Amino acid sequence: MSAPTVVHAPRRRRIDGWRWASRFFLVFMLIYTAVPMAWMMVTSIKSGFAAMAFPPEWWPSEPTLASYRNLLDPQNSVGRDFLRFFWNSLYVSTLTTILAVLVAVPAAYAFSRFRFPGRQFLFFSVLLRNMFPAVIFLVPLFILMRFLGLVNTHGSLVLTYLTFGLPLAIWLLKGFYDNIPIQLEQAARIDGATRFQAFVLIVMPLSVPGIIATAIYSFIGAWNEYIYAYTFLSKNEQLTLPVGVQRFFSENTTDFPGLMAASFMMSVPVVVLFLILQKYFVRALTEGAVKH
Amino acid sequence: MTTFILRGAAVRGAAIAVLTASLTATTALAEPPVDLSKWSPDYVRSIAGTEEFDTAAECGKVTPLDYKGRLTFWYQGVFEGDPDLLRQYYKDFFETFRKTYPNIQLEEQALTYNDLLDKFRTALLGNAAPMAVRLQILGGTEFASKGYLEPLKPEDVGWSTEDFWPGAMKAVTWDGVTYGIPTNNETMALIWNADIFKRAGLDPDSPPATWDDVVAYSKQIHDKLGIAGYGLVARKNAGNTPYRFMPQLWGYGGGVFDEADASPNYGEVRLNSEASKRALQASYDMYVRDKSVPTSALTNQQADNQPLFVAGQLGMMISHPSDYNVMLDLQKKATGADKEKAQTVIDNMRYGLIPTGPDGKRAVVFGGSNIHILKPEYVEGGKVDEPAAKAIICFWTSPEWSLKMAYAGSNPGNLNGFKTKWMKERLDNIKFLDVTTSMLPYGIPFPALPQAPEIMNIIVPDMLQNALTGAMTVDQAADDAAEKVKELMGGL
Repeated sequence: MSAPTVVHAPRRRRIDGWRWASRFFLVFMLIYTAVPMAWMMVTSIKSGFAAMAFPPEWWPSEPTLASYRNLLDPQNSVGRDFLRFFWNSLYVSTLTTILAVLVAVPAAYAFSRFRFPGRQFLFFSVLLRNMFPAVIFLVPLFILMRFLGLVNTHGSLVLTYLTFGLPLAIWLLKGFYDNIPIQLEQAARIDGATRFQAFVLIVMPLSVPGIIATAIYSFIGAWNEYIYAYTFLSKNEQLTLPVGVQRFFSENTTDFPGLMAASFMMSVPVVVLFLILQKYFVRALTEGAVKH
Repeated sequence: MTTFILRGAAVRGAAIAVLTASLTATTALAEPPVDLSKWSPDYVRSIAGTEEFDTAAECGKVTPLDYKGRLTFWYQGVFEGDPDLLRQYYKDFFETFRKTYPNIQLEEQALTYNDLLDKFRTALLGNAAPMAVRLQILGGTEFASKGYLEPLKPEDVGWSTEDFWPGAMKAVTWDGVTYGIPTNNETMALIWNADIFKRAGLDPDSPPATWDDVVAYSKQIHDKLGIAGYGLVARKNAGNTPYRFMPQLWGYGGGVFDEADASPNYGEVRLNSEASKRALQASYDMYVRDKSVPTSALTNQQADNQPLFVAGQLGMMISHPSDYNVMLDLQKKATGADKEKAQTVIDNMRYGLIPTGPDGKRAVVFGGSNIHILKPEYVEGGKVDEPAAKAIICFWTSPEWSLKMAYAGSNPGNLNGFKTKWMKERLDNIKFLDVTTSMLPYGIPFPALPQAPEIMNIIVPDMLQNALTGAMTVDQAADDAAEKVKELMGGL
């Protein structure tokens, strides 16, 4: 007589509700963020009439690159202006980024490593500027720039962007330096390195992700800034992209394909920058947040 | 097929006579270049192309053509969405000016309609304003009353005060002194889609005669077709809102003050009068009761109505003749089957007079722009090159350029512009122009007060929003707005 076989009923896998909920949430967020971008791209390849059609065409029956050709053709006034605005934005954002990093790196290091009177107060006071809405400083800064003779110069924007970009950069980098063990520098000092050499040769290479993250923050902040650029600059030759794209709005009408093509072109440098450097960006955010 | 709707000529003639009197009541007219009492589409046609003007020669008498100088100049510009025709004229203007005055270094800056006033105010605070500026009609008295502008009258740039609409001259006059010159004057019209009217069971070639009809037509269109009937706009701090609500307010017999009277003195706030409340109630009925206007009306401006109209999702709207040119451009640039669809939209466009109130009162905003010279202390560098400024002002306000720069959407500020050959050409090329020139005598200027921008761009839209969102009843919203105007005016 054979032993009775035990048949196990197939075990039902438990549905992990949280996991599925988070998946749904992520898909929703993906749609929420990606659809406007997709719609922007689709509209940019429509004709002006097709862009206003109802029901809207999810994909244009007659796609056209006319808006892009218009924007990138230096022979016509739209293209000339757009390319100039693009260059101006690139110039202002890059200069702001370089200066922000140059100032924030030593400042954050000093806040992280040195103990000096008023350190805490100074550290928190750099944030003071960021505690108020930007618009509060608009007229005072405009008058200051006027006094400095900087109205209608890109210098006015770089200076202004540094006032709100630097505090964030200093805070971000300080958190990063706090996580680099001081013993590494001490070891270098024992081996004969000066403090500066220890900083440049030991700390700097380790803080590259933080510096890159800071640079991306500064660049994006300056690249997208509108209200100061709009107020400080009134010469067509000097306008930056966020102000320049306003030319697609008129009193009674809007050139939607042109606007969307310009917006898409405007988002390209930021997206490319982010895609190339995103691993540093994420690392900087997480490493700066955890004490080792 | 497009048709012009101009009916009731006899009734209109009488109304025009009364309203023209109100528009011309400010000054004792010497001899205007056109006879305003005869104003009608036929009269405008009869004078078009009857005179030649030499702009360079006229302006050369004001500022010698070899004058050497430098000028900074801001103006409400035309941009990518505007009709190609108009953009070309703006381009031509600056090219021609530079050719005519080769030694004037001109630094011009175009600004968008909604940004110009705010940007100009900020620049003034920092003494960084341009030497000359072309502002929308609402701005003149505000800046003149604050002492930013130099006195400037048409005679200073070679023209005569009588060359301009007396109503327009009111908008540049503060405390008895003239501070600017009108460049263009405009009156809008009612535009409707004949196909939508037909499908909704309305006569496709008859516009609503009264504002009450607008409410009823809007409801009928919405109920039958499920689309918006009337393009109500109520966006705050956007000129489009008062331009579309004030004709309704005046039509019902209301007003902010007595600006719709023949001789206004702005001494009494009428925003909460029964007539004003009836006008506000009409908007409430369309937005809240009937839901027959775009849901987004609270944040809409005209640029948001246009796509709806083009897409066949809006039955009626108030706008310029330039909408027709915008449609032509869209059709020209459309491809494939869209070309045909765009043509259908054009074929179904109809223009008519703005509806009247229950008592037959027809009104429209007498809008436009003016050009001014700044005082040196508010200008970047502390100096104003007055001859250079006068040269460009003479140019822009000349019969030739005041017409060309207003070619697609407005009318020349200089009345002599109606006599030029370009006006004749314009009458042939721009459909519906007769309608808007017919509306000119019904035009009512905004109150010529420094507080007018705040009232029209903030308080009036606020009143609409308070009523339409249900934050207040119609009565409360009107009372609240009236109180705000009183406070602003220092306790009228």
